[in-house]
Amino acid sequence: MSNIIVINILRFIAFFLVQLLILKRLSYGWEGFMYVNVLLYPLFILLLPFRTPKPLVVFLGFLIGFFVDLGYGTLGVHSGAMVATAYFRSYVINWLEPREGYNIGSSPNKEDMGGGWFIRYTAILMFTHIFIYFCIDAFTPVYIVGIVGKTFWTFLFSMLLLLVVVYTLNPKK
Amino acid sequence: MRGLFQLFARYGSFLLFVFLELFSLFLVVRYNQSQRVIFFNSWGLLTASAEQRIDNIGDYIGLKQEVLDLQAKNHKLMEELDNARYNNRLNRDSVQQDSFQQVYTFIGANVISNSVAVANNYLRLDKGSSHGIKPHMGVITDDGVVGIVRHVSSHFCSVMSILHSQSRIKASIKGSGYFGTLVWKNDNPIFMSLEAIPKHASIKEGDVVITSGYSQLFPQGIRIGEIKHISLDPGENFYNIQVQLDVDMGKLRYVSIVENLMKLEHEELDEAINE
Repeated sequence: MSNIIVINILRFIAFFLVQLLILKRLSYGWEGFMYVNVLLYPLFILLLPFRTPKPLVVFLGFLIGFFVDLGYGTLGVHSGAMVATAYFRSYVINWLEPREGYNIGSSPNKEDMGGGWFIRYTAILMFTHIFIYFCIDAFTPVYIVGIVGKTFWTFLFSMLLLLVVVYTLNPKK
Repeated sequence: MRGLFQLFARYGSFLLFVFLELFSLFLVVRYNQSQRVIFFNSWGLLTASAEQRIDNIGDYIGLKQEVLDLQAKNHKLMEELDNARYNNRLNRDSVQQDSFQQVYTFIGANVISNSVAVANNYLRLDKGSSHGIKPHMGVITDDGVVGIVRHVSSHFCSVMSILHSQSRIKASIKGSGYFGTLVWKNDNPIFMSLEAIPKHASIKEGDVVITSGYSQLFPQGIRIGEIKHISLDPGENFYNIQVQLDVDMGKLRYVSIVENLMKLEHEELDEAINE
């Protein structure tokens, strides 16, 4: 039990550092072509065990979003998107529930749930997160075409990176 | 307290989500320049349009009082007109006396029910005997004649509409002085027929039809409508005249009830003739 907590604290720090030290710089390099912001830190929320209390998921979503915001200097943008995604997580989990239900103690990862389920699960929530993120970033429906374009490219690159990370490191629990 | 905990256990994630989402959006607006500008611009537009809407509603609520005030002023002016007063002017020898006596006064009323679709149409007004309304008073609007009061209760009265198979309004043609009777052939609430205009009268389409004042129900000279169509059947001595009404009977709201202060005298004279 305490093992899971320690793992997740370490993951929190790791995702935070990767996002700020590597991916933030990467996103600025793309600026001439298109503003693409590769987001990996939502994976922290996605990988929390099924039995995590729902309010705690929402709160952790706010926490990691808030820290990323501090690093990006865009207070509230990442945390707003992350809180919403963390809240929708339980609905997506219910929606994708296999016929035999979830095993007690399992986590939504590739190991426990299989590759197909995991890709669907991450794709839905990453897309939700990135779309809400760019909506809050633009803050007006006037730029909806730009929002959709950015969402598409960012989703593509983020999902690629996410799958590379998951298939190489293969996180359990 | 236990209920509160249960509530939180049930909706905790939703409440926390709403709270943290609003807090995040607050942070966005508070600490991000571009979103801040967009937010306050939109907020300004929103409040401005809301204020405008509230203003409009206030105007609309005030409108009713405005209408009633204007109606009262209008009545005052209508009572000043010559056709609402009796002229005591006397030409005898060289002594001239000029003084006027009030004949017609007006009482404002609201239409609370109305119909135009059946053969015998009635209106209901929100004034009754406690406001001085009696049967056989005329009812007019700014656009013309509406009908005649038939039955009165203490707070309401029912008015026989001019769109009633029994309604007979004495009318004359402005300028020529020929007079006849307006009746409704219950086909179209815009048109009435003017009967008993003899065929030697020179009239044309477009002539204005006004009240004759002979019935003592309405002041003389109130505009009713315009002649739209004239025909003369062979062998007939009277024209068939179609009059287009100015008043739209389908959308009446504020009307004036006409009181004739000298009505009693007329009735006494009528009785004297009938005896």
